[in-house]
Amino acid sequence: MSRQIIKLTVNGDAHEIAVAPQQTLLEVLRDELGLSGTKRGCTSGACGVCTVQQEDGRAVLSCLALAVEWDGRAVTTIEGIAEPGQLHPVQTAFLEYGAVQCGFCTPGLIMTAKALLDTEPAPDEDAINEAMAGAICRCTGHIKVKIAIREAVKAALEGKQADAASN
Amino acid sequence: MQLPPFEYLRPATLREGLDWLSEPGTETAVVAGGSDLLVNMKLGLVTPKRLVSIRDLPGMQDVKPTADGGLRIGAGCNLTDLLQSKAVTRRYPALADAIRAVGSQHVRNMGTLGGNLCLPTRCWYTNQSNEWRESRQPCFKTDGGLCHVIKSSARCHSLNSSDTAPALIALGATVTLVDRHGSRELAVADLYLDDGIDYTAMKPGEILTEIHLPPPTGVAAFIKVAQRNGLDYAAGTVAGWFGGATTRLVLGSITSRPVILHRSADIVAAGGLDTQTIDAAADAARADLGEVSNLFSPPGYKRRLARSLVRRVLQQLADLQGAAP
Repeated sequence: MSRQIIKLTVNGDAHEIAVAPQQTLLEVLRDELGLSGTKRGCTSGACGVCTVQQEDGRAVLSCLALAVEWDGRAVTTIEGIAEPGQLHPVQTAFLEYGAVQCGFCTPGLIMTAKALLDTEPAPDEDAINEAMAGAICRCTGHIKVKIAIREAVKAALEGKQADAASN
Repeated sequence: MQLPPFEYLRPATLREGLDWLSEPGTETAVVAGGSDLLVNMKLGLVTPKRLVSIRDLPGMQDVKPTADGGLRIGAGCNLTDLLQSKAVTRRYPALADAIRAVGSQHVRNMGTLGGNLCLPTRCWYTNQSNEWRESRQPCFKTDGGLCHVIKSSARCHSLNSSDTAPALIALGATVTLVDRHGSRELAVADLYLDDGIDYTAMKPGEILTEIHLPPPTGVAAFIKVAQRNGLDYAAGTVAGWFGGATTRLVLGSITSRPVILHRSADIVAAGGLDTQTIDAAADAARADLGEVSNLFSPPGYKRRLARSLVRRVLQQLADLQGAAP
């Protein structure tokens, strides 16, 4: 089937890529752009390791997104959530609280957690559970992941209070 | 898993989409959010050569109040968007609960209400990879001549697992189905057929464009039971609506279509929502449920679950009715 040129912004960088209709956003990110931080897992929407963020911050599954439908759109991947050499607060929390086992699901978990924090600054326990239900750690390390997310939420809220106090 | 090649078409108008859909000779499927269709294509369960995307058609993502005080929801409305619409969450909380029960947040961020209503039926013998399926004899759904779930059966027993369908039926919703020759209104209650293969009353070439909710009256509730609280198909769902003189009770995810419980509803309509009537209505659920298959859970469990779900939803309706001003 004929390829189509799409304009896709990835982590702020504009790309023009020729894609076939059957190529998923995941395949374009990994195979065309070499951004292999986004993982290929179940490829059927059941595991969440391919999670990326759309423009409004929501978490979506790149394995079930057709690249042609992303023409003119912008996506954030794990490679783009912090400046080079820096860590996003969610990454810092995952490191600090040991929320990593084999590491394969980690990009998906971090993107899912970041999407939660971006769309809901002070999520309660239920909101965390609901958001994270679609991103699965098959090493079953969910407790430390939840601890890390709680701490990231706390740090973000304290940061905001500190900002407010210094202003 | 990768997608097989296909042609992707984005019509500018509904008319254009309908024309493409009914063009003979090429297998064409409608796609909206894609969160279910693309999985089934990867599994080789469906093999459309062309996809017609309808999500971005004019009006497809509108949520608008209607003149009679109801709500019109475009079939292409995203599920998460609907959960952020006060017109949905405040006025139809039972529908919001059903939407929240769909998939995971990731899936809801991609999927649409129309897509959930049109969700294909599922079975653990067919919703597998080609290689897995090829290790067994083909069944009715894969152009064979038997059902792996009930060997003696002459039909396919795949399950309807739409979470929103039971809620919309309980709320008395209708849908608009459009084809090249015109459009028709159909009650969501009449949208589903008791067959795993021909699971909806939609005709080839038809597109589901709108969902209409009547004005919110009475009280309504929805409950889903699944092995996991997130990202899981239901073992069973129930939706109930109590409007005083009339009641609607619907079970979902237990057979090939949502089951409308007429006997239980009649018992409640006659006796109200006291504990004794609720028990009697729950006991009656089994009669309307009829024969159930052992797909995803044993028949005995499904019947006990049905009774429990009906009792729980009626108790919720009683509590809501008691709390209503």
